Amino acid sequence: MAAVLGLIVGVVVGLFVRPDIPVFLQPYLPIMVVAALDALLGAARSYFERSFSDKVFVISFLSNVVTATLLVLLGNQLGVGSQLSTAVIVVLGIRIFSNVSAIRRFIFQG
Amino acid sequence: MVDPEHEGTQGDGSEQSDLLKRIVSRDRKDRINDDTTTGAFPVVRKRKPAKAISSRRTSSLKRRLATGTLVAVLCAMLSYGYVIQINNKDLTYETLTETELTRLISETSNQADRLEQRKAELDRQLRSLEAAADKEKEAENIAKENEETSGILSGRLPAEGKGIIVRISKGSKEPVNASTMFNLIEELRNGGAEVMAINDVRVVTSTYVSDSSNGLVCDGQIMEPPYVVRAIGDPTNLQNAVNMAGGVGSRLKVKFGAKVTVDVSDEVRITQTKAVQEYKYAKIVE
Repeated sequence: MAAVLGLIVGVVVGLFVRPDIPVFLQPYLPIMVVAALDALLGAARSYFERSFSDKVFVISFLSNVVTATLLVLLGNQLGVGSQLSTAVIVVLGIRIFSNVSAIRRFIFQG
Repeated sequence: MVDPEHEGTQGDGSEQSDLLKRIVSRDRKDRINDDTTTGAFPVVRKRKPAKAISSRRTSSLKRRLATGTLVAVLCAMLSYGYVIQINNKDLTYETLTETELTRLISETSNQADRLEQRKAELDRQLRSLEAAADKEKEAENIAKENEETSGILSGRLPAEGKGIIVRISKGSKEPVNASTMFNLIEELRNGGAEVMAINDVRVVTSTYVSDSSNGLVCDGQIMEPPYVVRAIGDPTNLQNAVNMAGGVGSRLKVKFGAKVTVDVSDEVRITQTKAVQEYKYAKIVE
């Protein structure tokens, strides 16, 4: 409930408030969004599995975002930023797919 | 199931108690033997942590509120970032790395070079086309000139200019024959006549003169005396050609008894024309 409310509030605020994203943050924002999406879907899965924990969600959310950002930052410093960001996106995408399929199994019982 | 059955028969004797012991131990062994866990797969225990969390969760309402708010804030951040990202259109160059940017720059400069080259090529083409157009104009002028000169030469166009008019009356001794007439034409040609006409016939390269019972025939036309020969050219030369001693003029006078008068004129008009001959076999050498 709180999550859905938060999502709606974020969209509304994003539609009306358009801040200038700092330049150093611009390459990381998409990665951060994808990582957070992964955390959110993991939380949804655990919610369906009746093992949802606020604490775990908060920590996984933050650690996902920070890890993804740090990985891409590291890649940029090593000169393989684009490849590494692709790798992060791919891994997160796989996780998102597996989470979605788990949620689907819980919803449709099969 | 086993336990309550043996509970009622516990105090019957030592044999039974031994039996009971054996049954219990067998039961324990069976349980161990029937165990299906192999150790190859991790044991999943779902219920326990859930129970622990729920017990912890219910412990404090304040805590629940705080975590709920935190979850909401995080989700808001996610969706906020998402919306910002999809609304951010000018990311293309800022997200690129240094190597990508240098590649992009070199690609762009390459393309500019190529376009420059292409432009030079097209410029050259344009210049050559302009030159060709100029040449074509020149060629057109030359063709026009040629057309005029060849038109006069072939008898297609009327002509006028300085020249002489030769009048030959009917021969008193005998009629003027074709060969003498032809001689006259040849002499005039040698004298530099550019355009000639006899009576109504324009004299061109293919003109012939022949005798017939009705008189002279020139290019299929019967000619009646007096013959009027018009020639455009240098008048003195032409006059000399006709009047020179022992020439065609004196021959006409002496042999045929014809009266020959040569008039010099500044404006000899030759309006007789000849249809253009269609060439059937001859072709221009390319």
